[in-house]
Amino acid sequence: MSAPSASVAGERLYRSLLRLYPRRFRDRYSSDMLAFYRERIQHDAPSRARFAAIWVRLVPDLLLSAFAERVTFASAGRRVVAQQTQTATLPPEEPMSILQQDVRFALRGMMHRPGFTAVILATLALGIGANAAIFSVVDAVLLRPLPFARVDRLVDFTHDGTSVSEPEFVDYQRGVTALSKLAAYSRVEATLMAGDQPVRARGTRISADFFEILGVKPIMGRTFARDEFSHLAKGSMILISSALWRQQFAADPKIVGRTIQINGNPATIIGVMPSGAVLPDGGDTYWTRWRMNPDSLWTRNNHYMRLVGELKQGATLAQARTQVRTLNRQWMRDFPETYFPDHPITGQVTPIRDYLLGPTRPYMLALLGAVFFILLIACVNVANLLLVRGESRRKEFAIRTALGASGNRVVRQMLTESMLYAFFGAALGMSVAWIGVRALVLYAPRDLPRIDDIGVDYRVVAFTALMTLVTGVLFGLAPALRGKNGDSADSLRDGGKTSATGSSRVARRVLVVTEVALAVIMLTGAGLLLRSLVKLQAMELGFSPDNALTMQLTIPPRRYNDTTADEFFRQVLERVRHLPGVQSAALDGALPISGDESGWSIMLDGRVVKNISEAPYAKPEQVTPGYFQTFGIPLVSGRAFTEADRRGAPPVAVINRAMAKKLWPGVDPIGHTLKMFNPSSPWVTIVGVVGDVRARGFQQDAPETMYFPYSQSGSSAYFQPGSMTLVVKTAGDAASMTPAVRGVVRGIDAQVPVSRVATMEEVVTRSIASRRFTTILLGGFATIALALAGIGIYGVIAYGVSQRTFEIGVRVALGASAASVVQLVMAEGVRMTLAGLTVGLIGALAIDRLLRGLLVGVTTTDPTTFAVVVGVLLAVAACACALPARRATAVSPTEALRNG
Amino acid sequence: MTVRQDPETLIPLKPVEVLVLTMLSAGERHGYGIRQDIIKHTGGAIELEAGNLYRTIRRLETDGLVDESPGAATDGDDERRRYYRLTPFGRRVLAAELERLRALVRLGEERRIISSPL
Repeated sequence: MSAPSASVAGERLYRSLLRLYPRRFRDRYSSDMLAFYRERIQHDAPSRARFAAIWVRLVPDLLLSAFAERVTFASAGRRVVAQQTQTATLPPEEPMSILQQDVRFALRGMMHRPGFTAVILATLALGIGANAAIFSVVDAVLLRPLPFARVDRLVDFTHDGTSVSEPEFVDYQRGVTALSKLAAYSRVEATLMAGDQPVRARGTRISADFFEILGVKPIMGRTFARDEFSHLAKGSMILISSALWRQQFAADPKIVGRTIQINGNPATIIGVMPSGAVLPDGGDTYWTRWRMNPDSLWTRNNHYMRLVGELKQGATLAQARTQVRTLNRQWMRDFPETYFPDHPITGQVTPIRDYLLGPTRPYMLALLGAVFFILLIACVNVANLLLVRGESRRKEFAIRTALGASGNRVVRQMLTESMLYAFFGAALGMSVAWIGVRALVLYAPRDLPRIDDIGVDYRVVAFTALMTLVTGVLFGLAPALRGKNGDSADSLRDGGKTSATGSSRVARRVLVVTEVALAVIMLTGAGLLLRSLVKLQAMELGFSPDNALTMQLTIPPRRYNDTTADEFFRQVLERVRHLPGVQSAALDGALPISGDESGWSIMLDGRVVKNISEAPYAKPEQVTPGYFQTFGIPLVSGRAFTEADRRGAPPVAVINRAMAKKLWPGVDPIGHTLKMFNPSSPWVTIVGVVGDVRARGFQQDAPETMYFPYSQSGSSAYFQPGSMTLVVKTAGDAASMTPAVRGVVRGIDAQVPVSRVATMEEVVTRSIASRRFTTILLGGFATIALALAGIGIYGVIAYGVSQRTFEIGVRVALGASAASVVQLVMAEGVRMTLAGLTVGLIGALAIDRLLRGLLVGVTTTDPTTFAVVVGVLLAVAACACALPARRATAVSPTEALRNG
Repeated sequence: MTVRQDPETLIPLKPVEVLVLTMLSAGERHGYGIRQDIIKHTGGAIELEAGNLYRTIRRLETDGLVDESPGAATDGDDERRRYYRLTPFGRRVLAAELERLRALVRLGEERRIISSPL
């Protein structure tokens, strides 16, 4: 065997497939069958291709015989078993049960028409498999309960457009009595020294009650006690996540009580929290206390926290919202210097489920809708195929009825057949789902909530089983009822050869029209999303993300002051710029797209304002000289930063066009000044204007931004950030430079952690990953739908031609030209397609409206998309009709007339 | 000790059953051996897979035409592997089936569908 791993996996799979047999059979033969399998592989599979070929034969053989064996055992039940234990004496076999007979007959029928069976099974496997796979994802992400206790009473609580400040939090705690508990949390970052390797970790700073509200208990140790949240509490302690515990501490069972360094300070680990106990705005890996001193809170306008609360027993969300609004109005009156009447502060209380899952929901539901359509189309297709086949078996049914079979008996036979198809379709579908879920998880965006929980589980199995049952009944019923009502005398007379009855023709056409309509709806939906994606990607980001490597460097604050930090970063840039393959390098305090959101209040042109509510604000960024050039951000006027803009030199700033337009409308801002809303900050002169950058991602406009030279930011912009993102522009593949750049940093200071390493292209792609993922999937589903619709049209037209051979023969004999025969055949296809298109377009206008929230730059009635869909569908329909039409022109009149 | 039923009640046999029984008439075989024998004697036209084969064996065992051979494993063989052999009753049923087929073959010869061997 060329691939031992494949053979091991193969044997395991074979073993599990053997479980499909009844217990008794398995007990006796499974070890034999396994030996058989081993020999088969050993002797007959010298290559991978042969290995695969053997499996292609093996799976249907096993499925069919296991099913047949189960039926035998179920119907003959104890008798067979008794015989086996009794050994030799054998009474004659009793007549087979009706079910057994039906099944046997159906199985034989399936084996005799391998092509037909394959098309049906493939159709069902795709329909059911795609459904089970997507349901698995939707189930894990949306449906399964959140890992929090009392989840229905938990609320997310923040302000519209901003966060919550400490005094506001205290007011809310006191004033919103509908909430029994309210806790605050904020995202923090720190350098943890677990061993000798510094790790940059994201964490959450929490207030008292946080874990009590979420109802999350530690898996080891304890959480913080209530009195430990007091500002007088002594000692530094930390809770870590189970992920950090496993990755950094090798799941040390004696971790509780150990001391680690956090930002250079010792802290004792008091507990380990389970995975999944994470809120999106919080960190991932550790929790520390927020020790609030009620007597010295931060200022009211310093918004940085998010809240989570629990509704009191019996209280409603509406009550909580009313109380919040009352408080907000009161603040506006009490603190006019903080709150600006034009931008009233508004508390937003949402159920935690909406907050956690809300952004993903429309994508998920769109996918769920799409796969449901696929299943519908698959069912319609199978129904159609069975209908066609039932038509050609009218004679058989007629004979059976004539010989005394009851109508119900015939219906049962047909239902048994369709259930069998559904059964095998589901079995194959489960394997498709198994593979599909793995592929989905592999390619799904990383920020999909609860992605680690996704897997095929028993609920998916139950869902699929239900779907299968519905499918079986759905497509079994139509042909079966038709079979029941078939007029035996008529059918016998015409020998089942001439054209089908009128009602069946109508039924088939209705099915095909439905199929086409569903395909149109899906295609337009996918088309609209695709156009949105293309439009988004074509939008000007305002900078060039090509060949740029980014990574975050964080200096240990205890060992560096502003001057040495400056020196450290200067050295890093110096050495990185000299690496072969590097074109330029710069540092940025807030990376576009992924960077944090903040806005600072400022004063303009020497005018001092008293109240912060009257001060404009803008987003600050601390950068080094060469930044604009490295990112390809165009200089509009003035100059960029140079090495001369260092500490001690006159403070300068560069602003973007959006800020210039808003704060100095119609005026050249160069030479004007600005200043932080802070008495001790200096006035800063604007020396340049640069182009806008869509720093918040594709879908949002560029925020007003002001740039400060890193070396000056300590005085001109409050502080010098200790965490900077290094941006390296390379000549070739950016990612390949990672080791070299890391080496440079380690060479200067091995204690500086390097984190969030990514190329800028990755950062940009990640920001639209959910959308891209959904669009690709939806596009895939639409393609499947199109293919199935094509098969449907082909099936009906081809069948029609075979039934009308006699008629066509007569026409040709009477002098009809090939063109007129083609026209005859095509006409039916075109009629059905046009009908389907019409219904589908109306449906699309109605249903695609649900996608509105996901569309960017495209309306739900985008004419281009609709035109393309119509064109594609007509082309597919033409292809589907062309083959049977060709066959029709080849009809030889003599042949047709003789057989007719 | 056993009251055997009439071989005629089991006739006609399925083609697969005839093949398996015929192969076993030459001596005991294990499952894979039966497959290889059938391939050899049908010029590769029939290649049985495990599911179909063991289901057939199960039927033949239930009807008493075939049973497990005690201690037939030769040296070096996997001891878990079972060998199957034709029972005397199985031999009679096979004979009856082959007689039936012979009559059919004769008919074909008489009607000149196939030529009779000299």
